[in-house]
Amino acid sequence: MNRELNMDKSQVAKGVRIERTFERFSLGQRWEHLLILTSVGALILTGLPQKYRAAAWSQLILSTPERVDLIRQLHHIAAVVLLLVVFYHLGHNLYLLLKRELPGDIFPVKEDFRDGWGMIKYLFFLSEDKPVYWKYNFEQKFTYWFVFLTLGAMGVTGIIVWFPIQVTQFLPGAIIPAAKLAHSTEAIVLTIYIVIWHVYHVHIERLNLSMFTGRLSEAEMQENHTLEYKRMIMEKENIPESQETKIEAD
Amino acid sequence: MAMHEGLNIRFLKLLGYFSLLIVVFILFSLPTRLVGAETKKQETEHYCLSCHSNPDLSMELPDGETLSLFISPETIENSTHSQEGIECEACHTEIKGYPHPEIEYKSKRELSRAYYLSCRKCHSANYEKTLDSIHAKAAEAGNLDAPVCTDCHGAHSIQAFDQPRAIVSKTCGRCHEDVFDQYIESIHGGALIGENNPDVPLCTDCHGVHNIQDPGSPQFHSSTPDLCAGCHADPELMQKYGLSSNVYNLYELSWHGVDVSVYKAMWPTIRHESAVCTDCHGIHNIRSAQDPKSMVYPDNLLQTCQKCHKDASPNWTSAWTGHNEISLERTPYLFYVKQFYITFSRLVLWLSIAYVGLQLLRSIVNRVRRSIA
Repeated sequence: MNRELNMDKSQVAKGVRIERTFERFSLGQRWEHLLILTSVGALILTGLPQKYRAAAWSQLILSTPERVDLIRQLHHIAAVVLLLVVFYHLGHNLYLLLKRELPGDIFPVKEDFRDGWGMIKYLFFLSEDKPVYWKYNFEQKFTYWFVFLTLGAMGVTGIIVWFPIQVTQFLPGAIIPAAKLAHSTEAIVLTIYIVIWHVYHVHIERLNLSMFTGRLSEAEMQENHTLEYKRMIMEKENIPESQETKIEAD
Repeated sequence: MAMHEGLNIRFLKLLGYFSLLIVVFILFSLPTRLVGAETKKQETEHYCLSCHSNPDLSMELPDGETLSLFISPETIENSTHSQEGIECEACHTEIKGYPHPEIEYKSKRELSRAYYLSCRKCHSANYEKTLDSIHAKAAEAGNLDAPVCTDCHGAHSIQAFDQPRAIVSKTCGRCHEDVFDQYIESIHGGALIGENNPDVPLCTDCHGVHNIQDPGSPQFHSSTPDLCAGCHADPELMQKYGLSSNVYNLYELSWHGVDVSVYKAMWPTIRHESAVCTDCHGIHNIRSAQDPKSMVYPDNLLQTCQKCHKDASPNWTSAWTGHNEISLERTPYLFYVKQFYITFSRLVLWLSIAYVGLQLLRSIVNRVRRSIA
């Protein structure tokens, strides 16, 4: 029987193995993810019925003109929340990067292409070993930048179709139908990507809840972030050993 | 022998009576059909006209109006009813001979409105339709000038209603003067009056005939695109005039079109704000899009958009893609976005499926291997 308990070091009894966990995401990052998850979810759920207004299932939801107005308002509220999170994310992380307090692990490097090629070889049975990764593997970096660029495109095109009169005061009118097409198609692309790629990698391949708990177990670190794990062991003093330990009874 | 002869004579007499009966029967039955055509000569009509062909025949109604009782023999003889053999008393049912019963109507209008009920006897279907019309509603609301059958079709002068076609619109124009003036200036009306064009719509093609509805209603507004599509989505007809028959399909995909089709299907009685054909092209004053006076001519387009989009700036008009397919020449931004997403969305979809599929396969193989080992 497994029990999870937070215990002081002094309470550790005989026959109990200490399993270290490692911080992966800060509380702020987890909040950002939660807000993005809920606002993007709300945007997709309120956006799809608008995109497919002529469909019967959409008309079940948008059953009165008031409902159409309501769902547009909800879409706009979620958009504002997302916009604020994105601006906070950009401002906060740029500030940290400039102050050299953020290592910049998320930026793609040459190694990621090598890892990608290594992964392809592994998937085609040309190699028996998966590549070993630092804090973020190339899949995770790809997800971050894919979502980053998508949200950028959705934000820009969304604002254009939200304020078409104001936008055409200084931009050509022809961008409005183009923005509308891009906004509604990009939304589908993002939905496809999240449902297939992201859901597989964090729920099916292995259940990775570090984005909610903030931590990974030592075994998970060793297997999936081998290089990062070794680095952290080397800089042992950085590992907050005494706190947040997970104890498993035999 | 004599007895035999007597029998013979009696038989012949019987035969004689019998054949007389047959002859009489034939005379009474068959010839009536022949004479029937002859009765179209209108005996009653002649009888009535013996007084009513006098141009000075008139009477004063209680409200002081002078009612002319003159019927031009030429007019009535050329009327459709007269030529079909329909007699005066078919409509003037209360008049059985001379002297006539007293006229109870106070005014000419009252008389017309009462007499048109006679049309119902034969034309009941169309009569019923008129009861559902905006004209009937106007009359119910107290406007006695609202037209009855005879106002459009004529009374004694009744003729085929659509020869020539233009006569229909001219008839409506007798009351709806402003609309008619706009209509004859329009591309439709001009072609009708000027060229007697057989394809352009008459008033009744859009508004209906006897059950004309309120064109200001939300239902009428929402169904306007379908109305126009009746001709403008017909490839054969549009080809004749070098016009695209795709305008309706492309409109249906537009922001305006989707909104309108949803309102039409779900909330037909609620007025919506999205533009239908006539909001941009005009209604009775509709002109060719190439006509500088057209509401959608490039110089006038901004003003037309501003009817709804009040603060629109000159850039705004190019947001409208026209009733055109996406093309590099006309709509380059839209074209590139579409081309990009045709590739990009498929790429993302298939790469995600392929990558995840391969990973799934590899992990299953690994598991099987482990369980074997």
